[in-house]
Amino acid sequence: MAQCGGGDVSRHRKGHLDTVESLCQGLLDDVMLDDDKCRAMFGYLQEWQDLASMCYGSLGGEPPLAPEASNGSGSSGGGGSFRKRRPDDAKGESNSICKRQRGKQQQQQQPCHPDQMAAAVGKGRPERARPGAKKKAEVASPKDSPATSASTVTAGQKTDYIHVRARRGQATDSHSLAERVRRERISERMRYLQELVPGCNKVTGKAGMLDEIINYVQSLQKQVEFLSMKIAASNPVVNFNIVEDLFGRQLSQAACNPAALPAMALPMAQVEPSCLQMSPLQQMQTSAGSSGYGLEMVVSNQYSPPGGPMSVPAGASVEPCLNVNGAAGWDIGSHGLFSGFDAPFQSVQSDCLLDNLKMEM
Amino acid sequence: MSSRRSSRGSISEEEINELISKLQSLLPNSRRRGSSQASTTKLLKETCNYIKSLHREVDDLSDRLSDLMATMDHNSPGAEIIRSILRS
Repeated sequence: MAQCGGGDVSRHRKGHLDTVESLCQGLLDDVMLDDDKCRAMFGYLQEWQDLASMCYGSLGGEPPLAPEASNGSGSSGGGGSFRKRRPDDAKGESNSICKRQRGKQQQQQQPCHPDQMAAAVGKGRPERARPGAKKKAEVASPKDSPATSASTVTAGQKTDYIHVRARRGQATDSHSLAERVRRERISERMRYLQELVPGCNKVTGKAGMLDEIINYVQSLQKQVEFLSMKIAASNPVVNFNIVEDLFGRQLSQAACNPAALPAMALPMAQVEPSCLQMSPLQQMQTSAGSSGYGLEMVVSNQYSPPGGPMSVPAGASVEPCLNVNGAAGWDIGSHGLFSGFDAPFQSVQSDCLLDNLKMEM
Repeated sequence: MSSRRSSRGSISEEEINELISKLQSLLPNSRRRGSSQASTTKLLKETCNYIKSLHREVDDLSDRLSDLMATMDHNSPGAEIIRSILRS
């Protein structure tokens, strides 16, 4: 009877194995009277229990608690057997927990080691060493705490140390670790760039990717230059020198690298006649309101000279200004030219210059 | 076997170094740093930022261009010329 109770407990202990349970029940009903057979049965069941606990251990789940199993054993003798069996259960459970904890601690110690190395390596990287110190403090605690906190610590460590963890067979000296960290960072940036550059994810290999990135940056630079050129061209008179400047620069670029700029050569060739067209227009359209500041300045300079001889040096000094690279020439020229004018006009002019500069940049 | 692999590796390493210096020359603010080769990580980070800034610039410039086109008087001779430029 007592052994029967023990069998009952073990039956409830692995309640999810239904077929095994029914089999055990049938066997128990048969052999209940025979003590020896019962003992044999008990040993059999104990074996089964070990198997079940092994199953639990390998699955990583918590085995059902033993006190729940006592519900099924109604007999008084069952209580005794239960008490007799209880240490076994407790030992088995504690064994499995111990095993798991030992496993966790091994996992913790493995990342801990490279972390110490990284702390030794990265004196210039305190952001890496600081979480390491924090984790080391936490590593000490789970030795006497249940397995749940140990699992949370490992989860946190997994995210922290993925970069510096040394796998089996990898070197753990400081130089190798530093190199590994560096390579990790580089590949991370490369991945980021891959997202940024279209069509880069088709290319495999670092060299191809770098090639693609370089091409993309060059095309973007060209695009920016072309767009600013278009804007400069659509605001014709003021930015005439800048168009010329861009034009000259791109021509020199094209001369240096003729194959690289086939796309730029075409619009430039078509820009040229229009620019040339502009110069007669400049003289024709002096009265047009839609023309830019520069023309108005020249016009107003001619129409309302504060000092009589002003118009002649104006015409003379604007011409070289057009050829001067950048806005500095304009600035000097305008200050020299319009020193006799009122201040607001000059501020408009300088605003315009700033605008040009921005566009050119 | 190992020697062949190492020689191939060194070639690709050279290639990559070349490409990286080329990329460095493309970046605007890395030019002044000159010969002192910055770390690849920093270079790649700068490249990311530079590409982003170029994107922004392109967007800004196209916005301005469309604004200019919208505010332009359509039958003035200046607009004619601009349109002929833009069509190219």
